Amino acid sequence: MPELHVAVLIKLEPDFSEGNVSYNPDGTLNRAETKNTLGPHSAIAAHAAFFARVMYDAKVSIATMGPPIADVALQQAQQISDAEELHLYSDRLFAGADTLGTAEVLKTGVEKMQGKMDIVFAGHRASDGETGQTGPQAAWKLGFTFLGNVTSYAVDVDARTIRAKRLISLQGVPDVIEEVEAPLPVFISIDPTYKSSFDKVSQRLSFHKYKKEAAQRAEHFKDYFKIFNAKELGVDETLVGLPGSPTIVYKVERVPKSTATRHAEVVDGSDAEQIKKVVAKMKEALSAMVIK
Amino acid sequence: MAEKYRHLYVVIEHQDGKLLPVSLEMIGEARRLVDSLNSKYSSKEKVVAVLLGFGIKDISQQLIECGADAVIYSDNPELKEVRNTIHTKAISQIAQDTKTLGDIETEYALDVKRPRYMFFAADSIGRHLSSTVLAELESGLASDINKLVVEDIEMSHQQKTGGKKETYAKTLEMYRPDFSGFLWTTILCLDNRNPAFQRDYHPQSCSIIPGVFEPLKPDASRKGKIIEFTPDIDAQDLRVRILSRQTIESQVDFETPRTIVSFGRGIKESPEQNIKLVEQLAKELNGEVGITLPISKKPFQVSSSLDSKYMIPDRVIGTSGHKTSAMLYIAAGVSGAMQHVWGMKDSGFVVAINPDEDAPIKDECDVFIKGRMEDVIPLLIEEIKKQIHIVEA
Repeated sequence: MPELHVAVLIKLEPDFSEGNVSYNPDGTLNRAETKNTLGPHSAIAAHAAFFARVMYDAKVSIATMGPPIADVALQQAQQISDAEELHLYSDRLFAGADTLGTAEVLKTGVEKMQGKMDIVFAGHRASDGETGQTGPQAAWKLGFTFLGNVTSYAVDVDARTIRAKRLISLQGVPDVIEEVEAPLPVFISIDPTYKSSFDKVSQRLSFHKYKKEAAQRAEHFKDYFKIFNAKELGVDETLVGLPGSPTIVYKVERVPKSTATRHAEVVDGSDAEQIKKVVAKMKEALSAMVIK
Repeated sequence: MAEKYRHLYVVIEHQDGKLLPVSLEMIGEARRLVDSLNSKYSSKEKVVAVLLGFGIKDISQQLIECGADAVIYSDNPELKEVRNTIHTKAISQIAQDTKTLGDIETEYALDVKRPRYMFFAADSIGRHLSSTVLAELESGLASDINKLVVEDIEMSHQQKTGGKKETYAKTLEMYRPDFSGFLWTTILCLDNRNPAFQRDYHPQSCSIIPGVFEPLKPDASRKGKIIEFTPDIDAQDLRVRILSRQTIESQVDFETPRTIVSFGRGIKESPEQNIKLVEQLAKELNGEVGITLPISKKPFQVSSSLDSKYMIPDRVIGTSGHKTSAMLYIAAGVSGAMQHVWGMKDSGFVVAINPDEDAPIKDECDVFIKGRMEDVIPLLIEEIKKQIHIVEA
């Protein structure tokens, strides 16, 4: 079977899980006190890449643009996907980038990976920035067909085509699962509901073999790790960082207290009498269908 | 004055011959913005709907009646389904076609090169389409916007202006709620005026959250231009084929039940027990259980059955999920972030259970029960058993 090369673009993000996240009294994130980790959507993308490893013996590469501490995210992603190449693109010049400036760095990096990529995976969005734009913009710069919200996929390695199922959610109409076929190379943005499934015994054996290998590799992740600054990456400096970013964050403000359309009656939750009155009001609200 | 960037283009979404609600919401907001712009600057810029599809020409009139000044449409069997590459190239061609731009308003025909602003829907199609179109057009995009203002911005920015004070006229301020729901971030798409990296960035673009803006009432007397555009379609792009489409019913029904009980991060003291309490409360009221977006990211460890049943994107009430107008909405341990409030504010009677009287949910409810859900919900259940007996048809 011809070789399949896949890549995963990941991001280091605040760890929102209980015990690791820290919030300010006003409900905003306390970044300084919050740990960082492989973003949850990036992790799902890494799982999707591991599916290709198991099913097609694909070679997996992982890349991220970030500060030097982002290497821990690469290690976590390697643990999931059994990657053999880890790239970190890190330079002061990349700072302040919006999605277009970031996509330029990632596209340049992917083109420097070992082997020509057949599939590039990315998460649906980052859990902090939440635009979901970087993946499709990197896809466009790479010239790869973009498939978004992918929930499962299968590759015909000889024919060099991929079939993918996508979940399309639009306001006001029921969800649709669309099955699409495309020639490689493609860029896949993984849906949060993505699930890998390994049905055959041979696949499950490969799964365990590669899982074991992944753990071994991740223990020595430095052997697979390479860091690139702007010069080493060979980026066009006018297209990355702040210079390459059409958009800026102009201001951040607290959401103003909404012009309250409702005036709440405040009730003591430990007062049985008050609870009784609240339930009576609830009953009234449901009165169209209630029989005592 | 010769300006290269004119008009607001709105990329329309439709399905099975009908416009999606968000399309008319975007046209409504576009109408308000452009009217305000034209009034302030004595200009004649237009709201232009961009409509791609097959057998969709008849929709054009509806767009005019609901506020568009013009519709640019492409009707082609290859545009029947949205395939990202084909649609991206077609929309980008339209956005740069000086002839069509000139036809929109002949007074600007000699100078206009691109739209000034562009709107997309923030949904499964529009989020990605907006990204690839703006990558092709090499301009700026903000996502999930719920407020828009046109302003002349005076600023000095180390990179954008090389430190000099500059005025950016007619800049679109694009507001988006951040992930916490408590902060509003304003994004701007600005030309680089710094001589070291000088470049123009237009159209200033954004994807808009469905349901946040009001459509206009249709006015059959409104007139507009309907312009056909024939895109160049690359043969190689036709190799992407849609094999099948299957409608799926949501496993969660938020439409039928009269009551929804939602929970948020307030379950954290004992997540497993608290979810079970919420479940019980919902059962007593024949209601459905909803969650806030952070819960769908599984921040707490619970048994796998509760995890797979409740901590799923399908249960989210809010801009990332469902909108409800339930008769009774109970928010347990929900702080009231903007995105969630959008999803539940149309409910009939709202009860919040929260120990923190400063939680923003207090402004969005009719009764605020101060207390922890582990203490309050059992009392509620006991009382409901006495007072309310639900009979469903």
